[in-house]
Amino acid sequence: MASLILSPAEQDYIIRGVESGFRADGRGSLDRREVSLRTGMISQANGSARCRIGNLGVGTDVLVGVKAEVNSWTPGEPEDLGSIVCNVECSPSAAQEFEGRGAEEINVELTQLLDRILNGPQSGLDLKKLCIIPKQAYWVLHIDALVLDVKGSIVDTLVWATRAALMSTSLPRVVVETIGDEMGNMQAEFDVVDDPEDLTPLEGAENLPISVTFSQIGKRYVVDASEQEEVVTQAKLTVAVSPVMEICAIQKGGMFRGFPPSLLAEILEIAQRIAREELTRFDVHYAQAKSHLSSQADEPSTGSTFLVQF
Amino acid sequence: MSRQELLSPEGLRVDGRRANELRRISCRASVLNSADGSSYYEQGNTKVLVAVYGPREPRSKALAQHDQATINVEFNVAPFSTSERRKRSKGDKRLLEVASFVKQTFEGAIQTTVYPRSQIDIYIHLLQHDGGTLETCINAATLALVDAGISMVDYVCACTAGFIDQKPVLDLNFVEESSIETPDLTVAILPRSGNIALLQMESRLHSSKLDEVLELAMEGCKHIHQKLDQAVLAAAGDLATKLSR
Repeated sequence: MASLILSPAEQDYIIRGVESGFRADGRGSLDRREVSLRTGMISQANGSARCRIGNLGVGTDVLVGVKAEVNSWTPGEPEDLGSIVCNVECSPSAAQEFEGRGAEEINVELTQLLDRILNGPQSGLDLKKLCIIPKQAYWVLHIDALVLDVKGSIVDTLVWATRAALMSTSLPRVVVETIGDEMGNMQAEFDVVDDPEDLTPLEGAENLPISVTFSQIGKRYVVDASEQEEVVTQAKLTVAVSPVMEICAIQKGGMFRGFPPSLLAEILEIAQRIAREELTRFDVHYAQAKSHLSSQADEPSTGSTFLVQF
Repeated sequence: MSRQELLSPEGLRVDGRRANELRRISCRASVLNSADGSSYYEQGNTKVLVAVYGPREPRSKALAQHDQATINVEFNVAPFSTSERRKRSKGDKRLLEVASFVKQTFEGAIQTTVYPRSQIDIYIHLLQHDGGTLETCINAATLALVDAGISMVDYVCACTAGFIDQKPVLDLNFVEESSIETPDLTVAILPRSGNIALLQMESRLHSSKLDEVLELAMEGCKHIHQKLDQAVLAAAGDLATKLSR
């Protein structure tokens, strides 16, 4: 984060390293750091996940909880769609300047970015399936992310954790009944089945995109920038790519310089290749998280990622 | 509306515990790598994560005290922590109240004079809420402070107790806590001396019964002390094996 201060010599070392294809932590310019992923630690949420991206146990750490609520339809809203509401909060445990209202700006920026990736047809989620009765009631998925630690590549970690949380989300079953009154009008009523066993997984969560963030350092760029590399980053480009290789969202950030268009074309091409690799990696980690969860199923505690080494 | 039966004729509570039974406690120190000290503490379904930073340079010069450390507590409730989603603003009075209680409690327990002109930050996250917020926050903060190696006079252990159907009950959960008739007493003690660091009661209780309830709560604190001690020993043992490798 911004609280990290690097001397000009250190900055120069990183910049010239990247330009000649070496990084301070020994990675190549397109290598990503290790990922730790766990799901299902918040039993009161419909889905939850914790993801950490970083080597040797130190990295960006994000906890996401998904909560589904039934909302009644009000005029002006789409008639037959459910909705997704994102909220990202950066904890002061990530950086001291996030204390009090200090995190507001970055919270809004990350919330909007997550919303751009998830809210709409690009997310792969079928929002029509989240509608219970058209013009009457629909599901709202509240995605609440808590950023516990920031060590570079915050957006990618956020997307990983959100994707895992949504994939682990299951909704209660809803019974819809149509009853006719004495006037012959048909009226639909619904009932949410209050049984913790009777849940259906969220459909389409495996179509969610994954994001790849490029950081321009000197004349070259790297993927999954570390904390030190972010200090000397001149421009940042986040590309979200879906499993069918559609580009779902692009955001350019960073305050120093613009990307030359020629670099952009190159990056977009590489983004798709990396996204494909990342999705395979995601599936492996998600399967691991699932098997870890089922191996702990008989334990009353679900705070597994905090109680055992993560 | 009939009153919900909080204590069955057999003497069991809504979650199947006996009157003098604590909820299941699981905790661990050093759960976050970049914090100076951190802990995760679970009591029943209430789950708390604490990060401690410091002693470090105060964020603003105005906060520095020439003879002692400033303690800063920030309490945050995750929107997904309750059964109905609710987002609280940073200025929510209930959050500020808990933060200020935790701050006052630890101002007495931390040897602040050892760290003049510095600041100790305690960041508390409530991840899941099922009653006993203040007690879990204090217990978790103790563990994180010990993990950060900050010198304290003693552990601070907190516990709640109530009074249901003429019987004192230990460690109230959310259902018991939200019943208006149940008095809710939170007490934090320094277990070695037995001194009371924090005492707070809601609702009403006959004066003749207070001793009984307080004694039960303090008994609970002692059990929690053992649990915290085990967690500290486990963390120290873990560190020792890592160092000897």
